Amino acid sequence: MNNLLKKILFIDLIKGLLITFKTIFTTPVTIRYPKQKRPLEDGFRGRHAFVRDPETGKERCVACTKCAQVCPSQCIYIDYSINSETGARVLTKYEIDALRCIFCGYCEEVCPVNALVLTEFFEYASYTREDNYFNKEKLLSNWDEFIRQYEKTEYLNKFWHLPGIGRDRLPIGKREPKAVSKKEESQ
Amino acid sequence: MGQLEIEKISDTTFVLQMGPHHPATHGVLKLWCEFEGERVINIKPDVGYLHRGVEKLSESKTYPGAMTLTDRLDYISSMTNNIGYCLTVERLMGIEPPRRAKFIRTIVSEMTRLSSHLLWLATHALDIGAMTVFLYAFREREQILQFFEKICGARLTVSYPRIGGVRVDIEKNVLDEIDKFMDEMLRRVDEYETLLTENRIWLSRTKGVGQITAEEAVSLGLTGPALRGSGVYYDIRKLMPYDAYPEVEFEVPLGENGDTYDRYLCRIREMRQSALIVKQCIEKMPEGEVLSEKSPDIDIPHQGKRKIEAGDSLWSGFIAFSQEKHDLMPKGEIYSAIEAPKGELGFYIVSDGSGRPYRMRVRAPSFIHISAIPKLCEGHLLADVIAIIGTLDIVMGEADR
Repeated sequence: MNNLLKKILFIDLIKGLLITFKTIFTTPVTIRYPKQKRPLEDGFRGRHAFVRDPETGKERCVACTKCAQVCPSQCIYIDYSINSETGARVLTKYEIDALRCIFCGYCEEVCPVNALVLTEFFEYASYTREDNYFNKEKLLSNWDEFIRQYEKTEYLNKFWHLPGIGRDRLPIGKREPKAVSKKEESQ
Repeated sequence: MGQLEIEKISDTTFVLQMGPHHPATHGVLKLWCEFEGERVINIKPDVGYLHRGVEKLSESKTYPGAMTLTDRLDYISSMTNNIGYCLTVERLMGIEPPRRAKFIRTIVSEMTRLSSHLLWLATHALDIGAMTVFLYAFREREQILQFFEKICGARLTVSYPRIGGVRVDIEKNVLDEIDKFMDEMLRRVDEYETLLTENRIWLSRTKGVGQITAEEAVSLGLTGPALRGSGVYYDIRKLMPYDAYPEVEFEVPLGENGDTYDRYLCRIREMRQSALIVKQCIEKMPEGEVLSEKSPDIDIPHQGKRKIEAGDSLWSGFIAFSQEKHDLMPKGEIYSAIEAPKGELGFYIVSDGSGRPYRMRVRAPSFIHISAIPKLCEGHLLADVIAIIGTLDIVMGEADR
């Protein structure tokens, strides 16, 4: 009897309609994307960049080729020569094919000197494929472009120091990394 | 619109090719359907349009590298795929993640279950004709994806767990936010239920559609909510507990009739349980590291080093290499399964001692669920075929691999 009454009075539908009616008065969750942008979270894995070292003004890469070794999609190409005087490796060629990259973040996690970073920058669609093959200079300019629009004064990526993992496991460069300050960048 | 008997089969049947680009087939599933009038006589599912060779490809990657491929199996619940893979390799190596990592894994896998069920609810309701639930469910799913972004920096293809733990710790404030969101989530699930559970259109579209008995469901190999809807108590979280599941309390919701409506109720109740599990985990969260000491480095080589036979000293004139190699991994084979949102997700790995899996096989629930479509659709209308595809929760990325 009760069920029949409910059915005749359309209680089930009215209950649902009340919820949709209430929702009219809530604030909208959608954003108008190109004009309005959602702030990205820290550690978002976006476009690749080489950190421009504030002291030397150059990249930090030491050509250990670990990133090329771990990359699951094999999109990193490295070439280096050896300085005959000091015996140190000199980076001669560094290329990332961003179209092949799957943004797993293994490269920045494994980098012992925190040279490579996936920045919080995602709007880099282009009309040509060449624009997304990043070489050394392009990677450095990616960093400049990113740090210019970065809001905070210091930048420290989550995958540089890997919170929660035992410090003994990590290479020395990743144990206590220093944040890159923005002020020195702009000078 | 219950299941009706087919009165007679005459020459008036016709064949309809549904898919592979039909919006209601949830991906690139093609169905060869034979109809008489509007009733299904015979259905043959055709899969393989999204085959990317993940199993073969993983043989050329190292163990940590192959984990990034498992994101792309069931791309709406990539966390559980990763955890399933990592758990298998951990069991092969005999290592155990730290306690905090176990709790973090439980939290993220239950959040994945929520997001997967929300997407299922959204698309299933949209297929049947309830547009509002689609919009509401995506509103909550967006928040869960945002939490994933906070945790690991990616929203969909997360690659968050690692063999022997997880990659980075979760901050305290993010945990608090998740805790707060789960309270809201419980309210939202009530909202979805008000919209659908008693709705007469929903009832007439789902009750009695795609009915399957417990025996048939077991013999077809269904798992997950599709099996529990028929009343079979089979949940790997309870039967073969992994991660932090033995330490939290939760119920396994069961259905009775095994029709689309019961499977819907099962998943809705599962969403509530998931939210409660996350809350319990955050409450009991221990402190500590998140990566086991024995876990392999990300940059493990493809092959182990060869032994040097000329004693321990390198400087002995001639250095002879033996044919033997240091094994990076224990040799052997292993199958282990976890309870993914869709059902039992199993990984079978054969190891030959090198840094790469010799063979990886994925037991994907979606693939096995597709084989149940002909059985479930027998004698139903064309419109019910859509409801049945929806209720099985099929993701073609996982079925075709």
